[in-house]
Amino acid sequence: MIELNAVTKRYGSLAAVDNVSFSVKAGEYFALLGPNGAGKTTIVKMLLDFTQPTAGSLSVNGLPSKHAASRTAVGYLAENYHIPPYLSGWQYLQRCAELLDMSRSEATDQCRRIVELIGMQGREHTKANTYSKGMIQRFGLGAALIGNPKLLILDEPTSGLDPIGIREIRQLLESLKKQGMTIFLNSHLLSEVEKICDNAAIINCGRLLVKDTISALVKDGDTLEDVFVRFVKG
Amino acid sequence: MKMPKALSPIIKIAKYTLTDEVRQRSFVVMFVMCVVFVFLIRGCYQGNYMVNGEALDAGTIVGAVSKMTFHFIAVVVMLIAALLSMRVFKRDRDEGMQSSILSKPITRRQYVVGKVLGLWVLSTFFMFILHAIIFLTVSVNLNVVMPGYLAASLLCSFNLLFVVVAVLLLSLLMPDIVAFLCVLGIGVISFVADGIFAISHSPMAQAMIQQPGSPSDWTGWRVVYYLWPKLSGTQHFASSFIGGSEGLHGFGSIYPLINILIYGLILGVLLFWRFRNEDII
Repeated sequence: MIELNAVTKRYGSLAAVDNVSFSVKAGEYFALLGPNGAGKTTIVKMLLDFTQPTAGSLSVNGLPSKHAASRTAVGYLAENYHIPPYLSGWQYLQRCAELLDMSRSEATDQCRRIVELIGMQGREHTKANTYSKGMIQRFGLGAALIGNPKLLILDEPTSGLDPIGIREIRQLLESLKKQGMTIFLNSHLLSEVEKICDNAAIINCGRLLVKDTISALVKDGDTLEDVFVRFVKG
Repeated sequence: MKMPKALSPIIKIAKYTLTDEVRQRSFVVMFVMCVVFVFLIRGCYQGNYMVNGEALDAGTIVGAVSKMTFHFIAVVVMLIAALLSMRVFKRDRDEGMQSSILSKPITRRQYVVGKVLGLWVLSTFFMFILHAIIFLTVSVNLNVVMPGYLAASLLCSFNLLFVVVAVLLLSLLMPDIVAFLCVLGIGVISFVADGIFAISHSPMAQAMIQQPGSPSDWTGWRVVYYLWPKLSGTQHFASSFIGGSEGLHGFGSIYPLINILIYGLILGVLLFWRFRNEDII
């Protein structure tokens, strides 16, 4: 589903991503872990063709990431999500649905289902400038789910959510995984990752340190946090 | 009828661009001010004008005032088109719409075409409404119909296309306000150069140029003059469709339009190329 082959991204002399290779299979729940500035978001941006790699190649859905068609059936939630302040959550979701070439009635049906799924009934018609960060994040996740994507790319999906919100999102992602969706997650919340992910990769300073299943990484009473600190601190 | 697949996102992005601009309070204020101003111009058609003690006939008044207002509206809307265009990419980036759109199976080219189309249609519509008010005022008050007036307005929309594409391109390379000022500068130079060119063809100027001691080689300046974006020339070409003008005179009169179209094309290609290499935040 996702494949990175010797991907490097340089900004001048700085290597944000340095010769990284890994793959994510269909149906996998994969977490990309790393400290701030490790290169996680840069990898996500290259997967979506938001920025081009300096070297190496990336493919999504079997197509090079620079092809727009590779983003068919891909949902994306950005870190620090924004919604135009003059739009309501409903209007925003409707726009996202229309951009996927849905008819107005199809879009309305999808939006109704999504609003229920993200638990935003009753607030969907108020303007986005009245939403909290957590509410915007929920609508962002809703927008990513429009069109029933096969692959979800989530960059810090629980950012700005309270503990109850985090739990709800986790439950939602678990149910999506059961439906066979592939999930690529960038997160700092290691305890959440440990609970729900199958596989994880840890990167630091743009380099891939390890990629394995969560059960192989976390052994002998360790937590994922211990493993993460051990790898990152060397 | 089903729209071609590649066209559908372009139309939608254009529609969102248009509605987002119209939603801005500053746009509404500008539009209302322009409409009020054009309504005030109505008075110009009702006065009696005397030149050298002789009253001018209605036809002369209509021709002169209509041309003046035509040019004035075209210039003002060019400024407004530049103002509308200068923040479009930045606003889309800040509000998350750019990443939201481009994370879908939509190419960057479709996105850029959608943005240009939305801004172009909006500014053309803006100008057309203002020109249509003048057209209706003249038709109703003076019973004079100028069939070429609205056609001239549509021809001027090519200037707006140039302005939109130029500002969008420059806003990717420099701060928005500087991009606006650069295009404003191009426009001002175009109008001033056309004015100087017209004056230089007067018999007095010709006599001065031919005097001993005056600079004899004007070739370099002529080349720059002819190659410079012909915003003013296109406007004059368009205004030749309004009644009472001298009419068209071969390739020379259509050249400004060709010049602007070629510039629009070149800047469009540069805009695609620049945006292709842009990092999406």
